[in-house]
Amino acid sequence: MAIGDYPKEYNPAVHGPYDPARYYGKPDTPFGQLKLNEIGSWFARRNKTPSAFMGACSRAWWRWQHKYVQPKRVGIAPFFQLLVGSMTFFYIINYGKIKHHRNYKYH
Amino acid sequence: MLSRIALRSVAARQSTPTALIARTSASSTEVSGVRDEVNFPRPVRGEPGKVRLGFIPEEWFQFFHSKTGVTGPYTFGVGLATYLFSKEIYVMEHEYYTGLSIFIMVYYASTRFGPKLAEFLDKEVDNVENSWNAGRVNTIKSLEDAIASEKEAQWRAQGQELLIEAKKENVLLQLEAAYRERMMNAYQEVKRRLDYQLEKTILERRIAQKNMVDWIVANVTKAITPDQEKQALDRCIADLAALAKK
Repeated sequence: MAIGDYPKEYNPAVHGPYDPARYYGKPDTPFGQLKLNEIGSWFARRNKTPSAFMGACSRAWWRWQHKYVQPKRVGIAPFFQLLVGSMTFFYIINYGKIKHHRNYKYH
Repeated sequence: MLSRIALRSVAARQSTPTALIARTSASSTEVSGVRDEVNFPRPVRGEPGKVRLGFIPEEWFQFFHSKTGVTGPYTFGVGLATYLFSKEIYVMEHEYYTGLSIFIMVYYASTRFGPKLAEFLDKEVDNVENSWNAGRVNTIKSLEDAIASEKEAQWRAQGQELLIEAKKENVLLQLEAAYRERMMNAYQEVKRRLDYQLEKTILERRIAQKNMVDWIVANVTKAITPDQEKQALDRCIADLAALAKK
């Protein structure tokens, strides 16, 4: 599988039009339905290669796109989400500098 | 009321949008197998996901509802913010106050101009969609018009049948009228001839009678002798005398 190809599991004859937000491999139990003692084995089953991680990020991106950005009549919500997300991201990456501006020594 | 909101958001969650991208299949992948419409339905464009406070997904609040009730997520948010502020994990340096003023400006702008902008953009979306659909809509409309005119033509053709029927009836009536007129004509002609015959016969009889009377009178006057005339005169005088005596 080279860059720009469809996932290996995607078969157009069976799956129809390609949905970039969808995982075409064998579905595992959703993370939200796990019990606490199953989380370890669930992570052990995950494919931890860089391409799989990129695929997961891409699916998440497209899920967000389909849900908040691509519908016909979207509001301002996706822009605010992007704004808040980027604010948080830049706050975190700049945290090392920002923490010198603390006003109190003891908390 | 809050429970109604919860119900509504649950209903909305059940119809979560999936996807809208349709791309042609790549030729490199293996193409075989039966299309699975049940597990892999064709993606449809959904409604936008619901958010609260402008950007937080409704699902986040739903996640709290079963554990903490409807105020739980807000309490969590306020508690988290208090924690971050008090421990100075979130440092209130100069940029924080810049952010506050920017937030006020953004809030004012989005509440003041947001609805108008949304209305305008919705109209634009409708315009674009209508322009994309225009060709198809026009084709459908013209075909429907053609069907309607065809139906009307059929209706008119039925009217023509009625008209032809009426015309045939009219012709029959004319034939009947002509027949009756000729019948009347024949009757009148026959009557005229019979009347002529009748008058002719009456005339002939009258002439014959007149001739006969003339002939008889002539013969009778011719047959009266002077003797007889005299006798008759005498007789008359005698009668007059007899009458005069009375």
